[in-house]
Amino acid sequence: MNARLARKKLVVVTGKGGVGKSTLSVTIGRLLAGKPWSRRALVLETDPRESLHQLLGVAPSGGAIVPAGTRLRIQNVQARAVHEEIVRERVRIAALARRIVASPLFQHFTAAAPGLNELAVLVHAYRLLQGRKADVVVLDAPATGHGLSLLAAPQLVADVISGGPVGELARELANFVADPERCGIVVVTQAEEMVVQEAIELIASLKTRLGTRPELVVVNALYPPLPQSASPHAPADALRLWTARRRANEQELVRLRAAWDGPRVDLPLVPLERGPALVGALAEMFGNPGR
Amino acid sequence: MKLPQALDRRLLIVVGAGGVGKTTLAAALGMVLARAGADTLVMTFDPSRRLKDALGVGRVPVDTPGALHASLLDAQTTFDGLVRRYAPDGAAATRIFENRFYRHLAGSLAGVLEYMAVERLFEVARDSQFQRIILDTPPTRQALDFLQAPERITEFLASDTLRLARRSWFDPQGNLRLARLGPVGRKIAKWLDTLVGLDLLREVAEFFQAFGPLYDGFRERAAAVQKLLRARETGFILVTGPGAERIPDMLFFARRLREAGHDLRLIIVNQVHPVVAGQPSLEPGEESDGLRLLAWLGEHHRRGLDELSKVLGPKDPWVSLPLLPETPAGLPALEALGTTLFDRISQRF
Repeated sequence: MNARLARKKLVVVTGKGGVGKSTLSVTIGRLLAGKPWSRRALVLETDPRESLHQLLGVAPSGGAIVPAGTRLRIQNVQARAVHEEIVRERVRIAALARRIVASPLFQHFTAAAPGLNELAVLVHAYRLLQGRKADVVVLDAPATGHGLSLLAAPQLVADVISGGPVGELARELANFVADPERCGIVVVTQAEEMVVQEAIELIASLKTRLGTRPELVVVNALYPPLPQSASPHAPADALRLWTARRRANEQELVRLRAAWDGPRVDLPLVPLERGPALVGALAEMFGNPGR
Repeated sequence: MKLPQALDRRLLIVVGAGGVGKTTLAAALGMVLARAGADTLVMTFDPSRRLKDALGVGRVPVDTPGALHASLLDAQTTFDGLVRRYAPDGAAATRIFENRFYRHLAGSLAGVLEYMAVERLFEVARDSQFQRIILDTPPTRQALDFLQAPERITEFLASDTLRLARRSWFDPQGNLRLARLGPVGRKIAKWLDTLVGLDLLREVAEFFQAFGPLYDGFRERAAAVQKLLRARETGFILVTGPGAERIPDMLFFARRLREAGHDLRLIIVNQVHPVVAGQPSLEPGEESDGLRLLAWLGEHHRRGLDELSKVLGPKDPWVSLPLLPETPAGLPALEALGTTLFDRISQRF
């Protein structure tokens, strides 16, 4: 965990599906909440099928903020709930607000208008920070393509809606997301061909579309280096699989290095089930990358 | 080679979460089907470079007994093609292409990418040149977006939003017609202007009006696509990764597929670590880290498969495929993978 990342208000964790984004989001949240940073961290999840709670061994969020350790909390947030909250605030009459939110017109508009759902998630994070409900929000973002749309949403909405409160809020968020002091992007990948390719493309689009770069790239699930001399009773099949997988990992790391020379953390495949013990082990390695 | 019954459908749609090897399996399947003599098309979104080179996307078809064709899907191109097809004339199409709202929408509207995949499937399904078609779906986490895309587009097109939006809200001078309705109308117009800006509304209204003539063709098409996804000639292959932690997601998706009336032909548990022979110790320090890890992964995946065989019913045909040392990229490797798949299926059923 580098000091620059530890200072952020919002940490957006993104990458291709299945690379361990949620596990890394929770790991980063746990590190920020722990010593020496001691920040009140909230990990936000947008996937309607909850999984963060399993990684921390707590009850599912169901939309509420749930304590998950010292200074650490989690929440599952759905764009629709945020839209509804905003309408309720603008339209003070509860019955009227309910009718607006329940109308097909409202539902279709918020579901279909480009950028609105992604914007809602960021609005939610932003408000939590403004209201000092948390010192730092870690956002377990949707997979790459959607992750990029999420980060691009404020600018998109600000471009389309030039004036009024919605436009102003979008512009404020666009500034927030583009500010490297306040917002950090973490790209999670694995040293496999297609996954590395997607990470390289994501880094390139962050630059061309948003004029920004990741704060950190995490390479997850590496096979361990081969020993100097193979154990005499090592089964040949296993040795062959390990050798080939490790060699592929190393080749992909070379390719990644050519496209990304910034901070990087490499994490090994760990023989632990998905759960609190795995998060603990990763946090320890993440915290002491020199190990 | 005899075609396993589980795969005996003209259209095979490969679905599943990201990172489980869907694209490679779709290519391997295409390779063995072509080898068995069927003219086969593999449609994919995002192949690796090596896979793209091997399949010859956009190049001469591969030389097998049946021809193997491969095509790369591009949502924006497909959407533009649809607009061109249903626009009454070139000017109407141009009006849509130039609309700021369309340019943003085509890339960001929820489900557009997914819808365009099925749209292309519909297109090629009518082409009798292909005896087999395999569609690799976009990597959405649950892949449900993909299946719901035609419904969502149809619903949106039929909604009040569109009916309202297609009315002419602005007069030729670009003023909101509401403002003519006296003080109340002017007040509403002003409120709208301060909330989102009238420029945006004007552009949205223009978009929907330009889209109007395309509306019926588009909606019929979406309905036809829905029907195709449930047709007898269409079968689904669900690909998942190993490990017991993936089972709930997989079961959830299998159930949703069936509830929606789709024909789930086969579940493939892919990339299973083999059990390490000689059972190396799992205790730290007694074996090298790598062997211990492989032994743990082999054991972990074996337990996952055991659990799966307990929870899956007799109506769920499934097979597992081992993790290969090298990711298959060339045609011979793809064919070997496809052959392994066929063998596993015929061993089970």
